[in-house]
Amino acid sequence: MKAMYTKYKRELLVLVATIILGVIFTVINPMFLTWRNILTVFQQMVLNGLLAVGIMFTILTGGIDLSIGCTFAIVGIAVATCCVGGMNPIIAILIGLAVGIVLGCFNGFLVTNLKLQPFIATLGTMSLYRGIAYVVTGGQPVTNVPDSFRNIFNGQIGSSGIRYYVIVMVIVFLLAHMILAKTRTGDYLYAVGGNEEAAKLSGVNTRKTKYIAYIASGLCTAVAGLVMLASLGSAEATAGIGYETNAIAAAAIGGTSMAGGRGTALGTFFGAFMLAVLKVGMVVINVDSFWQYVVTGLIIIIASYFEFIKDDIAAFMAKHK
Amino acid sequence: MKKRFLAVLMAATMVVGLAACGGSKNEADSTAAGSEAVQETGEFNPDQAEDAMSIEEVREKNGEEVPVGDYKFGMVMKSLSNEFWRTLEEGYEAGAKEAGIKFDVQATTDEGDETGQQTMTETLTSQGVDALLMSPISDSNLTSAVESANDAGVLTVNVNDGLIAKANHYVGPNAFQNGLLAAEWISNKLGDQGDVAIVVGMAKAFAARERTAGFKAWIEDNNSGMNIWAEQNADWDRTKAKDLAATWLTQNPDLKAIFCNNDDMALGVVEAVEEAGTDTLVVGVDGIGEAYDSIRAGKLDATVDSFPYYMAQVAIECTLRSLAGQELPSAVATPQALISAENVDQDAATIINWTAPKYVPAK
Repeated sequence: MKAMYTKYKRELLVLVATIILGVIFTVINPMFLTWRNILTVFQQMVLNGLLAVGIMFTILTGGIDLSIGCTFAIVGIAVATCCVGGMNPIIAILIGLAVGIVLGCFNGFLVTNLKLQPFIATLGTMSLYRGIAYVVTGGQPVTNVPDSFRNIFNGQIGSSGIRYYVIVMVIVFLLAHMILAKTRTGDYLYAVGGNEEAAKLSGVNTRKTKYIAYIASGLCTAVAGLVMLASLGSAEATAGIGYETNAIAAAAIGGTSMAGGRGTALGTFFGAFMLAVLKVGMVVINVDSFWQYVVTGLIIIIASYFEFIKDDIAAFMAKHK
Repeated sequence: MKKRFLAVLMAATMVVGLAACGGSKNEADSTAAGSEAVQETGEFNPDQAEDAMSIEEVREKNGEEVPVGDYKFGMVMKSLSNEFWRTLEEGYEAGAKEAGIKFDVQATTDEGDETGQQTMTETLTSQGVDALLMSPISDSNLTSAVESANDAGVLTVNVNDGLIAKANHYVGPNAFQNGLLAAEWISNKLGDQGDVAIVVGMAKAFAARERTAGFKAWIEDNNSGMNIWAEQNADWDRTKAKDLAATWLTQNPDLKAIFCNNDDMALGVVEAVEEAGTDTLVVGVDGIGEAYDSIRAGKLDATVDSFPYYMAQVAIECTLRSLAGQELPSAVATPQALISAENVDQDAATIINWTAPKYVPAK
């Protein structure tokens, strides 16, 4: 138990802060703490959570993937087109995931083989992928996605209100956690982000590791694209504009270091959870739209400051043992 | 120690900040702020212009005949990735063909390319067009281009949003009326009772702000029994609009109607209403094809269409009238109508009672 605490104290801090936020919202409007509203919070963290866990992989290696919002749109369009054309939904899903992998792989190629700065490389693909989305659709949305596809993600367990896509997100986070905490690949990802040269000298295949990070990002984004498509029933080229910023915020709040080498799937989960609580809570207590931006910004800054408070608390505990 | 103090201070700021925002939820406050913002946007407001006329009134005043000379028009538009602007372009083509004039349509690649649009406008001016029909991205990006066009003797016409105060004429839908039409229809459906909510888009262009203002004004002016229960921004984004509506409906399943600043957001809200299983009315603005499909499928309840295809033709007609020396008001309102299940399958020309302009060769 103690070991768990020391290992995940940063993550727990975020959770505690989120609970405090929840208490504040509940005091202002008791409607916040209803079962249905809590379900709403979980539903609304799914897209950002999936994007955040994907981008976290690239941030861990000291990189970034700015193209996720556009990959998100392309996957939606591809799968929607397949489904509307009458393809079996399972095959369409596989195609969607494959599209995510290919687009992620291209980012990996730019970053490793061409040695481009990840920020610049993915800034380029961000525009490139968005352009592809416009060209392929001609700007027209793809509509009338059949329910056979939508129910795979959008259906709910009995009538509990728990939708399948929430479970899909939890599974993705569990897988990410296993990869990062239990496998050698996870160790390599942290090593490359911590000190690439040292990792290379100690025999880590840094190129392969970076490829894995960008492919993971593409894959998680593809899952998010599938969820969005199921949830809206239509795909358009303009989907996901600006979503990368929220994903980065969720990862950062959860303790992912922008310099690479540090961060956990659990932290990112809580980061996305906190942003969803904030988003839903501010609507429930009816904060003016303009002020929501101000509050969100402040919370991101304060939550990032936990990075330092954490050490403070540890020192405090040690002193008073 | 110092750090800990800072942390406590930060946490305190956070709480105070939140509490302050909680306090600002007063409906009256935000309403007042909204209408002030509208009035501040500039000296010229086509929706409130005193000499504004509808196209029917223009025809009545100046006669049915429109003289056409050997003209070349330049059209500047926003991104063709948006269906609205594509339809406007089709309207320009149809109108120019009917009038028998030459034209050159330029459109930006995305809706954020403000300087690119300025370059296009300047290029068209230097190519020597007789008139410019422009739909600027923001209220300010074409200001200098329009000034130099005016200096060069080119007739400048502002079509739809954003707004160019220096243009000779404004031709476009009355956005304020978009909101009025929506509020009136919702009121009839609900028996003028119940909670309604507004999903706004973060307004860069004038038209979007006016839609919300019109909706609120109708409710206020008619002493409506409807209560504006909430108003929030969803950045024109379909997913954000859906999430917003889902949160609202969890909180207030008795929400009777949701008015959205455009169809894209309305189509997201429709999904949230369906999932919540409530009978909330959803009304959008724009009249995009997807909205029509959704109305036919019994999902979206209504949209206010401003018929870009005919708007473009009206713009060409008005420009020709002005070039022929006829007297034209500073703002001409183009046809618009509320589309619901009752008239969704009617021909657009029938709904707005469209008659084609009568073009005659100039003497």
